[in-house]
Amino acid sequence: MRYSNLLLGVLFLFFCSSSKGQERKDSLVSGDFKGLTIEQFILQLEAQTPFHFYYDQKQFDSLQITLSVKGQPLQKVLELAFVNTNFHYSIDQHDNVFLIKDKMIRTDLPAGFFGSSRNINDSAITNTNTADIGLTSDSSTISASLENKLYEIGTKSQIRTGNSTVAGYVRDDKTHEPLPGVSIYLEENPGIGTVTDQFGFFSLTLPRGLHTLNIQSRGKRDVRRHILVYANGKIDIYLHDQIISLREVIISSRKTSNVRSVQLGVEKLNISTIKTIPTIFGEADISRALLVLPGVKSVGEASTGFNVRGGATDQNLILFNGTTVYNPSHFFGFFSAFNPEVIKDVELYKSSIPAKYGGRLSSVLDITSKEGNKKNYAGSAGIGPVTSRLNVEGPIFKDSSSSFVLGARATYADWLLKLLPKQYERSKASFYDVVLHTTHEMNKKNSLYLTAYLSNDHFNLNNDTAYEYSNRNFCVQWKHTFNNKLNNLVSGGYDFYKYDINSEANKINAYDLQFNINQASVKSDFNYYINAKHTVQFGLNSIFYKLNPGSYRPLGSESLVKTDIIPSEQALESALYCGDRYNLTPDFSIDYALRYSFFQYLGPQTVSTYAPGLPKEESSRIGNKEYGRGSVIKTYSGPEYRFAFRYSLTSDFSIKAGFNSLRQYIHMLSNTTAIAPTDIWKLSDPNIKPQEGNQISFGMYKNFKSNTIETSVEVYYKRMEHYLDYKSGAILVLNHNIETDVINTKGKAYGVELLIKKTAGKLNGWLSYTYSRTLLKMDDPLAGEVINHGQYYPSNYDKPHDVSFVGNLKLSHRFSISTNIAYSTGRPITLPVGRYTYAGSQRVLYSDRNAYRIPDNFRVDFSMNIEGNHKVQQKTHNSWTIGAYNLTGRKNPYSVYFISENGLIKGYKLSIFGSIIPFVNFNIRF
Amino acid sequence: MKKIFYLLVFVVIASGCKKLYEPNIDSPVIGYLVVEGFINSSAGVSTITLTRTTKLMDSMVAVYEHHAQVSIESDNNESFPLTEGVNGSYTSDVLHLSPNLKYRVRIITQSAKEYLSDFSPVKYTPPIDIISWQVENGGIQIYVNAHDDQNNTKFYRWTYSETWEFHSRYLKTLYYIIDPISQQAVGIISGSADTTIYKCWKTQNSTNILSGSTEKLSMDKIHLPVRYIEPQSDELTVLYYIRLKQYALSNDAYLFYQKLKKNTEQLGSIFDPMPSELAGNIHCITDPNELVIGYIEPAEEQEKELFIHHSDLPMIWISQMQCGEFEVENKPPLDVSIIPTRIATLGPFNSIASFYASDALCVDCTLRGTNVKPLFWP
Repeated sequence: MRYSNLLLGVLFLFFCSSSKGQERKDSLVSGDFKGLTIEQFILQLEAQTPFHFYYDQKQFDSLQITLSVKGQPLQKVLELAFVNTNFHYSIDQHDNVFLIKDKMIRTDLPAGFFGSSRNINDSAITNTNTADIGLTSDSSTISASLENKLYEIGTKSQIRTGNSTVAGYVRDDKTHEPLPGVSIYLEENPGIGTVTDQFGFFSLTLPRGLHTLNIQSRGKRDVRRHILVYANGKIDIYLHDQIISLREVIISSRKTSNVRSVQLGVEKLNISTIKTIPTIFGEADISRALLVLPGVKSVGEASTGFNVRGGATDQNLILFNGTTVYNPSHFFGFFSAFNPEVIKDVELYKSSIPAKYGGRLSSVLDITSKEGNKKNYAGSAGIGPVTSRLNVEGPIFKDSSSSFVLGARATYADWLLKLLPKQYERSKASFYDVVLHTTHEMNKKNSLYLTAYLSNDHFNLNNDTAYEYSNRNFCVQWKHTFNNKLNNLVSGGYDFYKYDINSEANKINAYDLQFNINQASVKSDFNYYINAKHTVQFGLNSIFYKLNPGSYRPLGSESLVKTDIIPSEQALESALYCGDRYNLTPDFSIDYALRYSFFQYLGPQTVSTYAPGLPKEESSRIGNKEYGRGSVIKTYSGPEYRFAFRYSLTSDFSIKAGFNSLRQYIHMLSNTTAIAPTDIWKLSDPNIKPQEGNQISFGMYKNFKSNTIETSVEVYYKRMEHYLDYKSGAILVLNHNIETDVINTKGKAYGVELLIKKTAGKLNGWLSYTYSRTLLKMDDPLAGEVINHGQYYPSNYDKPHDVSFVGNLKLSHRFSISTNIAYSTGRPITLPVGRYTYAGSQRVLYSDRNAYRIPDNFRVDFSMNIEGNHKVQQKTHNSWTIGAYNLTGRKNPYSVYFISENGLIKGYKLSIFGSIIPFVNFNIRF
Repeated sequence: MKKIFYLLVFVVIASGCKKLYEPNIDSPVIGYLVVEGFINSSAGVSTITLTRTTKLMDSMVAVYEHHAQVSIESDNNESFPLTEGVNGSYTSDVLHLSPNLKYRVRIITQSAKEYLSDFSPVKYTPPIDIISWQVENGGIQIYVNAHDDQNNTKFYRWTYSETWEFHSRYLKTLYYIIDPISQQAVGIISGSADTTIYKCWKTQNSTNILSGSTEKLSMDKIHLPVRYIEPQSDELTVLYYIRLKQYALSNDAYLFYQKLKKNTEQLGSIFDPMPSELAGNIHCITDPNELVIGYIEPAEEQEKELFIHHSDLPMIWISQMQCGEFEVENKPPLDVSIIPTRIATLGPFNSIASFYASDALCVDCTLRGTNVKPLFWP
């Protein structure tokens, strides 16, 4: 039945029609028909009129026509003939008449077909297949913005059985910004589906024939597209913003990606979610938002960096539009270095790390900026107590092929410093960051993207020591689509991070200390959508590092400081990868990939050699070896395996498991618990081995209530090798033989993460609980020093219990409230067990490392969002955010320490935010 | 560095806070040996102090190690015994050590445990050039200046002892009449000014680890702050004296003191380094796993002193101590916790109708120091 309708539809595709019910003289019919079958009846009609009839005989086999007419128009005759039956007819411009049972064929186009955005009454025509006018072929891309139109893909021909690939972009209807993360699947078979990539691109392999695509994206109206697939082809889809009318509507969407994707341990936050999470000073902040996710922790409230599933802070690869950002924070970690106004979303890979990424042991944080509006100039501005931000976007050329977005943010935090005691009155602190992102679509197959990022922090305390650090990143990406199945993204970039510390307080010792990392990278990533069962990703990437590990120079003419420069280090890190997503059945998919990374430490360099079998110490150094420019001093290489599978037990319940291994060749050296602005990075060299890690994980995912409630349980076990720890009293800055001050440790981490997330409705948010442990072990006496008798000891960020709740309640369209509740076990700390007197003062004697814990942490934050009116046509839209951080005013301890003061020992508990911190923020969009 | 991080804590709108904290740590009685001192290579006595570590929350001030056999040994097989004094100190005779030999300390405790320091060469200590001072942020910053023409010293350590004279704010010229039976003050009589509680001296030793390095400088030249006197504090109200001792250190000893400083003085910031293990150069040879605290090496001792007179200061310097006189009616019972200073009003027959008095701390300087003038005081 259905098939025949389909066939009918196919038959009529050529014809264009516009009118119905025109009366023509040559269409008058006369006759006395008695008990005729449809065949006999049509024969008579065709004899009397120029019309051609199309129908399916089987549908009409039960019909007998008895009718008497004289000089009546054909329409009238047919109406009489089919009166009180469920048969219908349609007539097009070319005198074709279509007869059909139960349904009606529309031979004209629905209202608004030619681009008028008037809404179409869905119910009236939902079941109508509409003919398309134009001929389409593989080479042209269809812009599909209409719901009830049938789009043909490929050159019209006989439909052969088998599969074809349909690809294209999903974009915003208004701004033409690409929309990533949009899920597209067949209505009749949700097992065939895909999700758009970061450029809004999708490629879907599906059986040829007629299909209905369901397209869903958060914040956009869910739409359908009817497509008829003859062969491979392209279709671009435009989505409207979901503007919710003031009468309440209940939206129940089916977002199933958490259950359906093969990956484990992936968390995605879009900026609107991030903005609902209350933060200190009310500045939407990526790093704070990350910390409310299961499996992500930090040592304390004011710390830069985060720990993912027991990994160290330097084991996270932080990518901003593909560029590597080494210091993701401002102002000692109080603020994230990314301007929330230009961020579109962030994705954190905790477990299944795609094979194209590598080089860090525990996670990849992928931050994507938004793309500029391609049609109109627009912008937004925000004013907060500490920073102000401005963001402008718009088309570069008039043809809406290109756009830019420029975001800038600056602080006026100096007033904070005015609150300090008088002796700090000349202190200064400032930071700023600038992001520029442009997009240019050269043609249907080639797009060019450019990202530039700059962040800078500067602080100077009372003319004493001045600190400065800066990230500078630049990246060009070229996306080339060979055909629907194969595309390639080539990118080249340059990343830079530096810090500079100088002090002129003491003229004799006035110095300037600098450190920087330069990194140039080239990448080429291919996506090959072979068919519905296989999606292959392969590519290669290469990073050239040049580190200047430290230069120490005199400052001023009186300074006696001796210039000390640690020679620069160079290395090349390259990787090749290939992976396949194999859908064995719609219910069972596996994702397997191999990445092979190799690292070459390059000259010129002088490398110290140590006596074998002895700890690496000054005393065991037996000599130096010189290497010339370009010579390969040491090569490390190894395979990295990435494997995951997903098995769907039902459409909303699946289980997944995965195994990952990773290698890391660049290490951050820090002997503080949090990332400090003076931490340095070091490349692996003949004396420092690369870090290696692997993780095995298992998860169960179940959705409830039409997928609006997502639940998951994930369990993981992780091992790390050659993680660098430091000998007691290690000197990390300006150390020419740093290998003598570091030791290799082993680590293990395990945990279980539970998550309940409500994604839709007036009340949304999530509740997560994590139980996790992170343990380190240093038991090699050859390394010189054994920590805690060679037993496993908890790492600094080992906080076994962690509960967080994020809730957002929309009370009206203009008013919403959000809250964030967090509880965690206190972090481990080394406490003194004894005291003694030395050098004129009582002093403390420390026990085993991290044998105690600071008291538990509990915090409630609250914010209200008040939006201005929602009239679409107005110059500016504004909103207020009012809230309070640490609503209960609890003095959460950051650390506990004992210190000798005036000869006596005193114990202190230090809290960073020991009271309620209220805030107000004002935002304007224009 | 430390300053900033303290500052940061302030920055957070004083909402961040530091509170006294006394955790319930179940600390075992450890009692590791603590060895402090140095082998004096400049023709003087060497003093080595032996103590034991105690529980963190112990009321005991110090546990001294008595009846140990302590000796200084050279790598030329000489041995010089030390004799026990008070408070765990062991002192040698005046020794003339050879600058070409290496020396160490051997300790045998009462419990027959034997400890030995590593052999270390004698270090030459250059003299202190001058102790200088300047006004900084309203207070006085004292600097040590030294240099080594040979560029050999590189690592320095200082200790100091300081003494200052200070006066009570008010002079006591009145005395209570104490009733011998009730022991209560029943009246007041005038007398001569009580100078015994007017002029005092206070002496204290450095409590912080003061060390410095010229390793990163092109010349072995020292100009480092050693002591900061807070604005308007007692130290400079009359006359201040500092005696600074300078010792050259080996690189390892310098690292030991740095570690000790980091572990015990430089904590409490956001970027605290983790406390590290403190290994000195003394080992227990009977039980190699036993922890011993301390670093002993031979060094010369150099000394320099400086007086700063109140009149040398380029600014007004008045003790910031909050003192005030208040009038008290001469009517028993009188409160003896305040000290009478002078007559306010006279009554009939020159009797004292009322008098001025002040807090004991403002009148009796012996509550804050000693009224025994040091021998060297000018």
